[in-house]
Formats: sequence, structure tokens, C-alpha cells
Amino acid sequence: MRLIKAFVRSAAYERRFLAKSPWDLAMVVWIPLATVILIWWIFSRTQITDLPIGVIDQDHSPLANTLVRYLEASPDITVKQLYHSPAAAKDAILQRDIYAIVIIPPDFSRNILSGKPSPLVLQVNAQYGTHSGIIQKSVQSVVGTLSAGVEIQRLVKQGMAPSQAAIAYSPIGIQRVSLFNAATNYQQFLASTVIPALLHILAMVIGATTIGRELRDKNLGHWYRFIARSRPDLTVENGDNCDNHTPNNNMPNNKTPNNPLKNQLHATQHVSILVVLSGLAGKYFWSTLAYSLWSALAIWLTIQQQAIASASIIATYFGLVILMMLSFWLGAIFTLGSFSLRTGLSATGFISAPSYAFAGVTFPYIAISDSAKHWSDILPLTHYLKLHIAQLQMQAPVAISLPIIYGLTLATLIAMLLTALLSKRALAHPERWGAR
Amino acid sequence: MPKSNLAPQHTLSAPTFFASFIQTLTDIFVDKGVLLMLIIAPIIYGFFYPWPYSTEVVNHVPVGIIDNDNSNLSRTIIRYASASPQLDTQRFINEHAAKEAMWSNDIAGYMIIPTGLERQVLSGKAANVIVLGNGGYFILNKNVQLGFLQAVSTVSAGIEVKKSVAQGAYAPTAAKNTQAVPLKIMPLYNQTEGYGAYVVPAVSILILQQTLLMATAMLIGTWYEQRRHATSIRGWLGRIMALSLLSFIMGCFYYGWAFELHHYARGENMLGSLLFLALFCPTVATLGCVLGLWFRQRERSLQILIFSSLPIFFVSGYPWPADQLPDILQAVRWLFPTTPAINTSVQLNQMGASVSQVASGFYVLVALWLFYFILLLLFRWRTQPQSSSQNKTAG
Repeated sequence: MRLIKAFVRSAAYERRFLAKSPWDLAMVVWIPLATVILIWWIFSRTQITDLPIGVIDQDHSPLANTLVRYLEASPDITVKQLYHSPAAAKDAILQRDIYAIVIIPPDFSRNILSGKPSPLVLQVNAQYGTHSGIIQKSVQSVVGTLSAGVEIQRLVKQGMAPSQAAIAYSPIGIQRVSLFNAATNYQQFLASTVIPALLHILAMVIGATTIGRELRDKNLGHWYRFIARSRPDLTVENGDNCDNHTPNNNMPNNKTPNNPLKNQLHATQHVSILVVLSGLAGKYFWSTLAYSLWSALAIWLTIQQQAIASASIIATYFGLVILMMLSFWLGAIFTLGSFSLRTGLSATGFISAPSYAFAGVTFPYIAISDSAKHWSDILPLTHYLKLHIAQLQMQAPVAISLPIIYGLTLATLIAMLLTALLSKRALAHPERWGAR
Repeated sequence: MPKSNLAPQHTLSAPTFFASFIQTLTDIFVDKGVLLMLIIAPIIYGFFYPWPYSTEVVNHVPVGIIDNDNSNLSRTIIRYASASPQLDTQRFINEHAAKEAMWSNDIAGYMIIPTGLERQVLSGKAANVIVLGNGGYFILNKNVQLGFLQAVSTVSAGIEVKKSVAQGAYAPTAAKNTQAVPLKIMPLYNQTEGYGAYVVPAVSILILQQTLLMATAMLIGTWYEQRRHATSIRGWLGRIMALSLLSFIMGCFYYGWAFELHHYARGENMLGSLLFLALFCPTVATLGCVLGLWFRQRERSLQILIFSSLPIFFVSGYPWPADQLPDILQAVRWLFPTTPAINTSVQLNQMGASVSQVASGFYVLVALWLFYFILLLLFRWRTQPQSSSQNKTAG
């Protein structure tokens, strides 16, 4: 009964705060909502098309024309311009008008038809990795097609049947299959994995702020008394105090000198860890509710274009909600551990903001340097994204990802307990409240 | 030094340019939080962010092979695939086992050699091997496909050459004919095509921007709480100058040392790069001042800005082509300094473009600086009168 009261009072306390502070409310409601939609929208053209390249044609033969036509027909790239001098082409690359240049050498056609090697040259701006990768793949495949055509034609001229010529050209064919995300859809690949990463960052910030502002504003004692009190007649006193808790209270000539005395009085009282625990649950209730909603939105967007087993969807959703809760507690731990909202936020930023780079999605986990793998392994996001990709993209059986869910749940429980213990410690040290 | 007309209103907010400059530097070095954001964080990130990418190129991707043919030919293919530096092969007895390994991320793809491959090839019939990559991870998929393609093509070409020779062709000529139109790929600038060399120089500019924004907004927010934010226009310029100077030094740390340490392409147009920093840092610092006056609270800048890095990076046009963005975002993205800055910095420092080749980027930065400065004047006008009338100065 006492615990339920602590939970409800704490939730009411938090609701009143959020209603009065538009910035903090935005962090719970508007900013995550806008972020999820924004990221999905950024990648709404799901494939990269028409990357501009240039051509220097020093041959002007029908074969060279065919090549240019093939290049133009390739959906990924577009021939923006024919250049006459390497200098002009280089200038265009430096100005980023084009990202690559295909050079057709002089006597290209004559050499090829007479069986002499006459390589085409692709100069590509490798500094732009995404652009460069797509251009290389497209040009390679265009040249492969051209090459096969030339070769088969030659064999046919020698009297071979066209079907036989194709086999003779390439005795062992390769059937290339991309299991999962066959269309190289960037919305599936990037947006669907970046959104959980961003929600994770936002949730950690909220975790740090929700408890951190009580520390900063020296209200932690008020909060505890408010949730733990047994008689309702203290409401008036608490209500009055709550209204004034802007950070300006920390100005030296403000009325803060009153607080330490009251707090010291309070610190001697017994603090129940269970009351703190259920009070914390109440304090984070609104953010948990909101982020469960944003998690649902994120998963819903991801599963739009594909048929996925409902067990996989449920497992992933559960995993994401647990990740959000873990993020809250982690943010709180950094703040309570350092007794400072500012330090807590800095630590949160340091850990969560680059965690996507360590998660092994864009740069594969196996290629991450060995020492950095340890860091990657302790980041909860790495594990969640493994689950996310296995379940939503690779359609793996749920059983394979269950250990991740157990792990995240266990981590969350431990983190929650640790948060409660640190809150208790913080309550015992009112002299350290108010650090900026 | 000319005296400000507004001087009597705020004694401690240092109305002259130079005094404001010195006062800002002093405050930065006294404030642990601002110092951490402005100087320590960029230094740590200089090592931390490139950390996962230190191997640069993805090699030895674990892959599976299912050999249903068990012939000389299939063994040859396996030998070639195992010898490929791109692949680390292991055998699986059936596709189910391979798929399970894929689900638990033990392998990134696999090849199936079908029954009767050798027989079909020897009898001149069409024959295929199947390569299955994991489309969930783009880079891994590319490596799997490419590694197997090269191994199989080499074996395939060997067969073709043997056949041609058997038909009486002269061996060297036959070998040349395997690829009728050869393609030579020359990667420019990032010549090793390393992932870190691609992404870190761009992200560094983002890190510079975000840390400077957070530090500036934190400092101004703190001053606002202490009612010390009001100052003359010269005072604001002095503040911007002090913040920019420190950020400029951090930029030099990246250009001159962090990139060098990781062997990234760099310093191609050093003078141009420095000129860029000299324009970029004040632009960002000015925006930071605007945000500080908007947030009005010490910790708010951290709260709001930490998550914004990734979206800002994606709309910058560097990792994702800008013309693929929705039309509205193509316009909105120009509100952030990184949009012109990342490309301009990479063009100058990594690619070696001349200043005239990136002139448009410079113009946009100047325009942004002016825009932010006008915003700053508006915020200054909105936040100044009430606070200075009380004139309650905090020590």
C-alpha cells in the first residue's frame, strides 16, 4: 500500500512538473516523435539513384557510344557531362559536380575488337564512401555486360552458336542472391536502425534529467518526503516549494540557505529503499509510457513493407522498450553517481551519441578493432540492434534472440536497483546537492 | 579602446571587445563543464571516434561453403575462396546449418556448390554456383559477393583458358581474352578506401560544431541564470572571438594531428583549410550564443543538442546524397553550419580543392554567420532590458 502510494504520488509530482515545463515535456513527447518521423522521412527515397558522373571519350567509336548509353541506362548513376580534358573533369570532381569520371582510351574500339587489351579507367572520388561504392558497383556491372557482349559476339563470329558462346564465355556462372533486404533499401538498413539509436540517446538524456534536476534544484529531499509521507497535510508546504524551484534558486543571495538545514533534518530520517524504488518507477512512469509509444511507432514503420512473424515483432518491441528503460536508469546512474546533472548529461552524451558507430551496423562488427570490440560489447545498443536486425530483417527464429532479451532485462533490473541505491546515497548527502 | 554607450547598465559584463574577450576566456577556464565540452571533449573524440575503424578495410569476413558436388572442380573453387584475403571460409553440411550460423552472426553469407557442377561444366552445359549474402549488413554483403565472385571467376577463367588452348589458341592470348573489356578502378583522395578515412574527417567537423555549440550555449545559459548575459554588440563580438579562438585551436588539432595519427588524407590545401576554420568557428559560436539566450539554462544545451548530431550529419549531404532528400529538407538543411562546412572542409583538406572551387561554401558560411548574428541581436534585444534594469550583479 505504502509502495503504491509512493508510485502514484511520484507520478503525480512528475506530471505536475512536466505540465509546467515545456522544454522537459518536449523531450518526452515532441522531440522523440519528431525525430522518429524525421529520420524515416530523410530516407524516404529508399535507394540512391542518379549519382552524377562524367565521361572523357577519347575514342568516339560506336562501341564507346554504346558504353556511354549503358552507363546512362544504369539507374544508380547518370552521365552528367562529357568532358574533353582531364583538367576540366578534375575541376568538376573537386567542385563535387560529379563523383567519378570514366575515361575511354584512344583506339579503344579498334584494340578491343582486335583482341588487344585496352582498359577503361574509372577514377572515383573515394573520399565520398557511399557515393563511391555505388558508382564502382554500377560501372563494374555495365562494363561486365559490355565485355560479355563483345566476347560472345567474337565467339559467334568464329562460328559458335550464341547459347554455346555464352557458356563458353563463362563456364561457371554465379547466381548472386541477397538474402534479406534484397533491394538494398536504405530505409530498412539505416533509418530502421538509426531510430532506436536516437531514442536510446534521448531516453538516456531523460534518465539523467528526471532525477538530475531534483539534485540540481536541491529538491531531492522534497521529492522523497512527498512520496514517502504518511499524512496528507504536508501537501500545502510541498506545493508551495515546488513552484519556486527554478535553477535561479542557486544564486548565492537566494533563499537556498534554508534548504540545507531542512535537508539535514531530513537526512537523519530513515530512507526506505523500496519506497525509493517505487517512487523512481513513478517518476519515470510518463517517460516510460511515452517511449513505449515511440518504440511502437519505430517498429511499426519498419515492418510496413514486409511480412514478419508476429512473434518476431513482439520480441523486438519488447527488446526496444527494455532498451528504453535501461537507458533511463543508465542516465540516472551517471547523474546520481556524479551528484551533478551536468556531469551526468556529459557522460550520457559521451556514451550514447557515438554508440551507433560502435554498434556494427554501418561498419561491420567483425571488422571493428579488437580493443574497440570490448567497448562495443558493453553498449546496450549493440545488442539491441543485433536483435533488431536478426528479427526484423533476417527473419530469424525468436529463440535465437532470446538471450539478448534476457540480458537486457537483467541489465535493466540491476540498473534499477543501482539507481535506487544511488538515490538513497544521494538523499544521505544533502550537502552535495546543487552542484552544477 | 572606444567605450560602449551602454556601459553604465552592466558593470561586470565587459562592454569593450577586448575586455569581453578576456573575461570570456577567464570564465571558460574557470568553468569545468564548459572546459570539458570545449576542449577536453574534442580531444577525447579525436581518439575515441576513429577507434572502431582502426582496421579501416573489412577483410576475412567469415563465410560458409556448402559443397554438394564433392568434385575436383568444387574443391578447386573452395581452395580459391579460402585463399581470398576477403573471406574466412568454413564448411557446412547443409543450407539449414549455414542459415542458423547466419542468424547468430557467425557467418555473413555462404556459397552453395550444386550437385553435378563439374559434370555440367565438362559437358559444356550452363552451370551455376549460388552466393547468398546478408542484405541486412551492406558492407559485409558487398565483401561476401565480391570475394566469392573473384574466386569463382578465377576458376571459371581457368577453364575457359584451358578450353581455348585445347582448341588450338596460343595460351597468353587466350588468357588475355578472359575479360574482353578490362576496367581499371582508381580511387581518388581516400586511396585505401578506408572506412575511417571516409567518415572521420566529416564527423570531426560535426564534433567541432556540436561541442562548441554545447559549450557556448552552456556558458551563455549560465550567465543568463546569473544575470550576466547582457552586453554591448562589441561585447558579444569579443565573446564570439574568444570562443572561436579555442575552437579554431581544436580544429587545428584535428587537421594537424588527429588525422595525421590515423593516416587519413589531409593537409591538401592547408591554407584554405585554416581559412575555412577561421570562418566556421565564429559562425558556430554565434549560433551557440543564440541558443544560449534561447535556452536560458546551463544544462539545457546538453539536453537538446546531444541527440541532434546524427540527424544533422545525415542531412549534410556527406553520407547520403543531398538530392535524395525530400525537397523541404533540402532547404531546411542549410540552417546548420555543418551543411556547407563538412563538404567544404573535406574538399579543401582531404581533396585539395582551391578556395575558388569551394567559394559557394564560404559564401554560405558568411551568410549563416550574418543570419545568426541578426538572430543574436534580436535575442539580445529581447533578453537585455529587464535584467540590466535590476543591475544585480553576481560575483
